[in-house]
Amino acid sequence: MLKRKLKQSVRVGVDTGGTFTDFVFETNGRLEIFKFASTPADPSLAVSQGLQQVAQKTGVSLKNIEVVHGTTVGTNALLQRRGARTALVTTSGFEDVLAIGRQARPELYNLNAVSPPPLVTEKLRFGLHERVTATGEVLELLNQTELVRLVAQLKKANVESVAICLLFSFVNPAHEKQIAQALSALNIPLSISHQILPEYREFERTSTVAINAYLQPLMGTYLKRLATSTKKLRVMQSSGGSISASVAANEPVRTILSGPAGGVVGALRAARVSGFEKIITFDMGGTSTDVALCERDGLRLTNEASVAGLPVAVPVMDIHTVGAGGGSIARVDEGGSLRVGPESAGADPGPACYGRSFLPTVTDAHLLLGHFGGAGLLGGEFGLDEERSRKAFAQLANEMSKAARRTVSTIEAAQGVLTVANTNMERALRRISVERGFDPRDFALLPFGGAGGLHAVDLARALSIPRIIVPRSGGALSAIGVLTANVVKDQSRTLMLDLEPGSERKLGETFIELERAAAAALRREGFSVTKQKHARLLALRYKGQSFELEIKQTKGNIAASFHRAHRERYGYAQESNVVEIVNARVRSTGMVAKLPPGRASVSRKKNYAKPAKFVTAYLDGKKLSVAVYQRDELPAGAQLRTPCIITEYSSTTLIPPGARAEVDDFGNLIIHVT
Amino acid sequence: MTQFDPTTLEIYRALYTSVAEEMGIALRRSAFSPNIKERRDYSCAVFDARGRVIAQGDHMPVHLGSMPMAVASALSEIDLQPGDVVALNDPFAGGTHLPDVTLVMPVFAEVTADRKPATVKNGAVHRRPSSVGRPLFYVANRAHHADIGGATPGSMGLATDIYGEGLSIPPVRLLKNGALNEDMMRLILANVRSHDERRGDFQAQIGSLKTGAARLLEIGQRRGAPEARAYATHLIEYSARLMRQAIATIPDGKYEAEDALDDDGVTAGEVPIRVAVTIKAARATVDFTGSAAQVAGPINAVEAITVSAVSYVFRCLLDGDVPASAGLMEPIEVLAPRATIVNAIHPASVAGGNVETSQRIVDVLFKALARGLPDRIPAASQGTMNNLTIGGIDPRTGNIGREFSYYETVAGGMGARPEHDGMSAVHTHMTNSLNTPAEALEYAYPLRVREYKIRKGSGGKGKHRGGDGVVREIETLAPARMSLLADRRKRGPYGLAGGEDGQPGNATIIHKGRSRKIGSKGSWELEAGDRVRIETPGGGGFGKG
Repeated sequence: MLKRKLKQSVRVGVDTGGTFTDFVFETNGRLEIFKFASTPADPSLAVSQGLQQVAQKTGVSLKNIEVVHGTTVGTNALLQRRGARTALVTTSGFEDVLAIGRQARPELYNLNAVSPPPLVTEKLRFGLHERVTATGEVLELLNQTELVRLVAQLKKANVESVAICLLFSFVNPAHEKQIAQALSALNIPLSISHQILPEYREFERTSTVAINAYLQPLMGTYLKRLATSTKKLRVMQSSGGSISASVAANEPVRTILSGPAGGVVGALRAARVSGFEKIITFDMGGTSTDVALCERDGLRLTNEASVAGLPVAVPVMDIHTVGAGGGSIARVDEGGSLRVGPESAGADPGPACYGRSFLPTVTDAHLLLGHFGGAGLLGGEFGLDEERSRKAFAQLANEMSKAARRTVSTIEAAQGVLTVANTNMERALRRISVERGFDPRDFALLPFGGAGGLHAVDLARALSIPRIIVPRSGGALSAIGVLTANVVKDQSRTLMLDLEPGSERKLGETFIELERAAAAALRREGFSVTKQKHARLLALRYKGQSFELEIKQTKGNIAASFHRAHRERYGYAQESNVVEIVNARVRSTGMVAKLPPGRASVSRKKNYAKPAKFVTAYLDGKKLSVAVYQRDELPAGAQLRTPCIITEYSSTTLIPPGARAEVDDFGNLIIHVT
Repeated sequence: MTQFDPTTLEIYRALYTSVAEEMGIALRRSAFSPNIKERRDYSCAVFDARGRVIAQGDHMPVHLGSMPMAVASALSEIDLQPGDVVALNDPFAGGTHLPDVTLVMPVFAEVTADRKPATVKNGAVHRRPSSVGRPLFYVANRAHHADIGGATPGSMGLATDIYGEGLSIPPVRLLKNGALNEDMMRLILANVRSHDERRGDFQAQIGSLKTGAARLLEIGQRRGAPEARAYATHLIEYSARLMRQAIATIPDGKYEAEDALDDDGVTAGEVPIRVAVTIKAARATVDFTGSAAQVAGPINAVEAITVSAVSYVFRCLLDGDVPASAGLMEPIEVLAPRATIVNAIHPASVAGGNVETSQRIVDVLFKALARGLPDRIPAASQGTMNNLTIGGIDPRTGNIGREFSYYETVAGGMGARPEHDGMSAVHTHMTNSLNTPAEALEYAYPLRVREYKIRKGSGGKGKHRGGDGVVREIETLAPARMSLLADRRKRGPYGLAGGEDGQPGNATIIHKGRSRKIGSKGSWELEAGDRVRIETPGGGGFGKG
């Protein structure tokens, strides 16, 4: 090892998942991937172990390892309610903003529904007399006596973190600043609304800031612990870009969907390498499925996400999740309809074929129809009990027979379950495409996760999607995404101005101010001017509307662009109406060095690969002889005989008759759907 | 029962529901008024060729059972051709109260294949005979418009007949042959306040119908129209089966109850509603005989509202996401005597029937059912929607000033459940509209929210506590006219099984620092700087504390 020229530094992508922590790094122009079992009690243990291994493998000392990290620390703390003892400071009269929310109940017809309790308990909500108006005028000065009393109250209440969110602070932050100044004596983390999310709508803003405060101490400690293993640490944001560890420690709310965002970035990179620009990702796991859409200019973001039932209004990748996965349980309901999910067998007891239950699930349906190519899961390490699946489905078929008043076979029942599962997932795909104004025919479908490849062709057919890309290293897509993600800083400001000839100057000033701040921050993180990109965005609406459309044009005939965008999205425009500028947003990017595309070894074009074996399986309702391929044995350029099943370590892909498939130069499997 | 395939049934359940949901998203995203966009006061539904509802989005419960009447009325009055859209709001011809305007559109197979179904020859319209068959489906949406004319901004004031409440629209074509009927639109807009906003909302409603129609045609093309039609029927039968099973879980018997509205806002005295629910095996009869005669004030409910309320209460007895199809009401018979508070006839004023009386009908129904199902039925929730309207001229819009009309319903306490406390500060039963954020409100109107808090201790005590109501105080920055339509100011929401009643609501106007209590229903003039303070009822408690 010493003979080899030692590298000065190495960049590692690390993604913490529920079962494994994945590591990806580049060495000699190739990506190397390995996994360690996750350590849920302290996720940093697995990360440190893995980094030591990277150090050994590359000869780079630990302190020269640069780490980009996708973490679930924030998400899990929120889901399990393990965050800090948090106080909330509001304008007097609005202390209950988190408890009231939008005054909606969670389920319309469920008399027993309950809402998640607010993150801040009643005793820790403090209102101060003060008032700023929508135009930024101070109507009532901040009451200094109350402020002094507040410091004492917070000290006495032993709070660990404070969220500060006053009305209209994004127009005039003076009072929030005064409060922050006074509370700095407490030496605990402060989350201040005009810094974290200077946008209007008080409930969503307060919710975002409260989540941030709730997670801040925990995330700070976690990242500090990690910092002992590495000098340079960045964290993946929910928006698909990374931020420095210090920003993540201060604004953990930005990392809440870190892992899923990494997956989408990794998927997008794989697609781009193979020449596809617009994709729909489809990540199907055991209990749920995540879908997302990427346009030509990349990821789509939303400011209207919610996590664990709480709104998060910072930019988050627009990922739609449905409770349908391999473990979804099938049953015939009291009315005779075949339901699949949302109840899931999970990992324990798991589907019937895992040997611990007789629950008929989507995974069992695939097994009965021969879709796993006669192997178990995880490269055969995990055997499947087909007898149990058959028993479970015989019972289901029996219930279906009663409802249909004719005999339904076990195989028919299995096919029915897959049809229903596909219907549910098609709905999810429609939601992020058609319902948002996109035509799925312009996209390629990119399945990943254990079961994505089993459903991809059926779903592509249902939505007339012409191509499917099954990426190489689909099992480590999140870690790859984390590694390749750029550094991104999102900023915004609510302006609430009519769009008129004079408004361009005010806009220009706002943009320049936001960009200056971002440029300085990126410079501090080591990005020279040439490695920086600043994108300006405007959130506009017709005056009187209450939802905004985001457009990229910020100069010239902005109104015309807005009318066009409105027409595309909603089918009409109102050209005589006043257009209102709601928010100015700047998305600043520090461009990270690109990874090599990782061209697969030898190109043997147009050769049919030899199947490992043939099995009998049910596809498209017919019993067929089907070729089985091992993914890692397929060379670049290999053509596949269809119908076929492609097995790899953590996933299976199913290609029914009629579709064509080949492995491209980069090792990605391309399926042509017909 | 005809034969069906359980898999295909499930597919259609998902398909038709997703059509209604997509229509809702399209409407919300493109509408103009905060009332539709922020508060989501709308519903979208899909109907089969016979005008029976087959799916409805989970939007507003009060629209649940009443949309079919609108479609039926449109069909009986107008021979719908491709490209037509019918608008209506007449409560006595398919509507509920005037602000709720319903649009109905037929879905013909040929419309997308050939966008020019008609040609004009010699001045007469000729349709290609082959292109006009029977519609495959109908789509409809209903949106609460922030103003529909009449004496009070927001059209929710104290009129004593329907003429005073605003503009009545019987079923009329708003679109004919795909083109907007500009004459009709001008007539409508000339009679309502903030007409630009109204026009935008109508356009959004039309866009939403087109979205739904395109989706249904796609389904028809993909799976075949005969199958799509057959499964529409299967879905209706499916809902009916589930409802029969739910009713069968209630012990047979006759369950009676009475509750009352405080007053009608015009004449003094409680307005009682009585019900007798008779359960016999899998069928229910809901008889409102003995309820008050229709009243002068605007709290009369038309029959559609009463059916909606019954439909909602029984829907709550079903578990899971059951399609809100026509089948739900199949095993239920509603008897609402004519010219009563629960089946008002022309020309009664009805603005509050939808929003107030509907809640009391729910209360009285649950009270009756609690006798049969003591372990499942919650105590009474706030039982009012606290409809607040403030309107006037916005001084911020220059010398001439633009009219503004703000409408909102204020949440309250939910009744305690046999196993849980009631939630605080939520909308319950027949509504689920959202609030207008204080910051959105201050941008949009010359108004300022001064306080918006939970009204601590207003929920009824008990083993499980009723949820607390809220306090919402709004200051007007310009002279304005304000209307309130609320109830449960005298009688608090009832507790059950020994739980205490929730606190009744309260309203005051604060003028130059002095508070003056106002009634539950009426209109008042406000000066700039005046504040309206609404305190909403808490929910009833459940069980002895």
